[in-house]
Amino acid sequence: MHTHSKVALLTAALLAVSSTLALAADKKVAFVPQIIGIPYFDAMKAGGEEAAAKFGLDFIYQGPVDTNPVDQMQIVQNLIDQGVNAVAVSVLDASSIAPVVEAAKAKHVTLFTSDSDAPKSGRALYVAQATDEGLGNAIIDEMVRRVGEYAKIGIVSGEATASNLNAWIGFMQARAKAKYPKLKLLEPQYAGGTAQRAAQIATDLMTANPDLKGLIGVASTTCPGVGQAIETAGKIGKVIGTGYCSPNTARAYLKSGSFGYSVLWDPKELGYLTVWAGEQLIDGKEIPATTTPEGMNHPVTYDAQTGVLLLGEPAVFTAQNVDNYKF
Amino acid sequence: MRAFLQRFCEREALLALGCIVSGLVFSIRSPYFATPDNLLTIARNSTELLLIGLGMTLLLGIGGIDVSVGSVLGLAAIGIGRLLEAGITPALAALAGPVAGLALGGVTASVVIFGRIPAIVATLGLLGVYRAGIFLALGGSWLSGLPVGLTNLLAVRFFGLPVSVLVIALAYGAVFVAVRFTPFGAHLLAIGNSEAKARLAGIGVRRTQVAAFVISGALCGLAASFYVATYGNVEMTIGATLALEAVAAVVLGGTAVTGGRISLLGTAFGVILLRLLQNGLLLAGVPSLWQPVVTGLLLLLVLGAEALSGRLPLGRLRPSALGVARRAGLR
Amino acid sequence: MTPRVSPILAILGLMWVVVVAGLAVLKPGALALSTVTAVLQFSTILALVALGQALVIVCGGAGIDISVGGMVSLAVVLAMLLVKAGLPGALLPVLCLALGLALGLVNGFLVTRLRLLPLIATLGTFYVYSGTAVALTGGAAQAGVPDFLLPWGRGAVGGLPLPFLTLALPLFVAAGVLLHATSWGRWIYGMGFNERSARLVGIPVDRVRLAAYGASGALAGCAALVSLAWLGGGRPNIGQNLELTSLTAAMLGGIGIFGGRGGVFGVLAAVLLLVTLQTGLLQLNVNTVWQVGIVGTILVIVLLVDNLALVRRTS
Repeated sequence: MHTHSKVALLTAALLAVSSTLALAADKKVAFVPQIIGIPYFDAMKAGGEEAAAKFGLDFIYQGPVDTNPVDQMQIVQNLIDQGVNAVAVSVLDASSIAPVVEAAKAKHVTLFTSDSDAPKSGRALYVAQATDEGLGNAIIDEMVRRVGEYAKIGIVSGEATASNLNAWIGFMQARAKAKYPKLKLLEPQYAGGTAQRAAQIATDLMTANPDLKGLIGVASTTCPGVGQAIETAGKIGKVIGTGYCSPNTARAYLKSGSFGYSVLWDPKELGYLTVWAGEQLIDGKEIPATTTPEGMNHPVTYDAQTGVLLLGEPAVFTAQNVDNYKF
Repeated sequence: MRAFLQRFCEREALLALGCIVSGLVFSIRSPYFATPDNLLTIARNSTELLLIGLGMTLLLGIGGIDVSVGSVLGLAAIGIGRLLEAGITPALAALAGPVAGLALGGVTASVVIFGRIPAIVATLGLLGVYRAGIFLALGGSWLSGLPVGLTNLLAVRFFGLPVSVLVIALAYGAVFVAVRFTPFGAHLLAIGNSEAKARLAGIGVRRTQVAAFVISGALCGLAASFYVATYGNVEMTIGATLALEAVAAVVLGGTAVTGGRISLLGTAFGVILLRLLQNGLLLAGVPSLWQPVVTGLLLLLVLGAEALSGRLPLGRLRPSALGVARRAGLR
Repeated sequence: MTPRVSPILAILGLMWVVVVAGLAVLKPGALALSTVTAVLQFSTILALVALGQALVIVCGGAGIDISVGGMVSLAVVLAMLLVKAGLPGALLPVLCLALGLALGLVNGFLVTRLRLLPLIATLGTFYVYSGTAVALTGGAAQAGVPDFLLPWGRGAVGGLPLPFLTLALPLFVAAGVLLHATSWGRWIYGMGFNERSARLVGIPVDRVRLAAYGASGALAGCAALVSLAWLGGGRPNIGQNLELTSLTAAMLGGIGIFGGRGGVFGVLAAVLLLVTLQTGLLQLNVNTVWQVGIVGTILVIVLLVDNLALVRRTS
């Protein structure tokens, strides 16, 4: 009997402690990437954790293992059910959050997007790394600077179903049509999520078009594939590779010359800004048109009409400056 | 026996013809198809699938299957990558691939054979376990920017041919010899034909089954060495599509899924045809998104045509209780 | 011929208790009505597809349907494209069902008429269906689901989501009645258990099998409808991975891979267990990759235990 009551007491204490922990007043911000296990989102996670530590919040990072929007939505739903105060999602597609927006509002959970947007879904705001248009333009402009206006350029994207990637491609095509009418931009080809397929497709594109001057890898997973393909084909210098690649991934290819440059923003900063935005939303604070969040070294802009919180301009990395960046 | 061989050669000849015809069509559509560089590209793209397909041929021959081969390749690739990062000589790191694959093949074998779980279901479960293993081993990130030592090893040429061609030829040759001239081969086919009868005949069924899985694992590990050398990047989704592609290629090649009949040459042609189509379609301007559709249609057309022309032994395919047992797994 | 109640159901029940108890201890806040609603909502698509998979497998003949995911994706895409091309939006449910049925019948034809092995036939159609869905749309999601569907797709009554209540549950009950209380059910179990004898006795094996594949397709069409009504848009890769998860659910649910064994309620229980497990792990903030590994391990263990029970029974 003695041990029984001890066990009962212990269990009761455990339950009490765990329920108090559950009721703890720490504000919680979560971020749901498109897929886990990618350095890009890992960098966002690191930034988010830094901000959470600084502002005294709980940061939760959870993502699907494949690019299925239903899996992503399940995670978002669970976070809402858990009572997380603010949930940021890098949406695979608007349908990743559309069905749960109402449920979120009912539970006083703020739903907002980061890194990839669902504009008409009713999300609170969108933390943008750079405007989609800015990103599309930057990569085309830099390419034309290097290969000229009459060149043929290929595009290797990741998943055909990723809305943010398709948005960037759309702006690339629009920019080429508007500003460089003599530029020949090939139809995008989709490599899925592996470096192998990206390399395979990049190689085939170069074979099919021996006059190809540039290759753009749109998803971060295509970067190693494109770079590798250029190296293996011995076309360093003849074909300029590029993509939205992190400096760490692109470094080897920038140094070897297969990549001429890379366009990106700092995902760590984006993660940091996301958590900061989450806190503003939880506290109900108005975000001014221009502000410098605590802990960041440059201002960010906010457009209240479209709900877009902009990190800044895209950065261009080259072999010269890539060593200054460690992500 | 002669008719048996004849039926074999028909499928392989069909595939070879398919390769040639597609090649011709693509050369017309694109002047860059028939260049030595492009043909070499096709060969290089086929490397991993050729090796994995070889292992899958043995497994199908025995009446089994393994849907986790892509993840086995992934785990082996991570092992190789980590060794390279740690500074081990590339040649040794490359050897670690088949060794790791062998070990994993052993694990798969134990679950399937000693657990007596049908292969398709057991390997389905293991697929999940291995994928989680890949994530753990990668530490949630990628392996990229690996030292180029292994890549340079791959660039070595013997008599003008890349080292991969020789390794693959050796692998196929070794398996061919084993299947044709050793008891292992005879046992394998007998078990695939009818496990119960093989057991009654005194064949060491378990031994042969384990051997098949282990060999397949080792071949996946070997493919991993080539993968790391060629692409230099190991990400979480590595090998996701390989298992089903391998099954498709092997079946295209004439190996019976029911077991008891294999064709190594057919597998090789099947793989090459698949990769050739993928390459040629892109060169011909067909968007890459249609490639899986072509794979599926090819599979259905070839097997459907054979079925319609009445060449398949329909009596064999009509499932009996025992036939169902060996087809879906190992019991 | 009555189907054996396998020990798998007992194991499932035990796991269920373990999962719920675990949640109760580690995260009492999770045991709320909203969690139940969420679990049921996320189970619906998988449940429908797993039911189709189960029917195909139970019919025997090495039956399997690897193309289920592809059927869902293609049904979604074609239905949306047809509506965009001018067909009235009110027809969407009918379209989904009809398209699914057609795709399933193609599988059935390949298996019963051309005598292709189901593994191969559905592998081929898997590539064709899923590839066509993505290629036709270029990967773009199809917006424009008619408004009348959304309240059904996202609504709930008493905590039970409407699609689950009005579509999945009735279909499971119907399938259960079919299998256990009609002569068709006896035929199906007979075919699965010993096809040769079934043919000798006069059971129209081919016709039943064709119907099973057609049913699998129709159920995939239902799943397509649910996804459209729920998500409000058509994703061309919505069926991704469904072939593996539906197979896992069917196996966990007690369906013997050789056919002739198992019941549909086991499948439903397995689906609910899988989704509850997923939800529980997410609530506990366990990394999602562990889910994949845990489900795989559970599959292996459940089958091992089932085997041991089998050996014990027959020895």
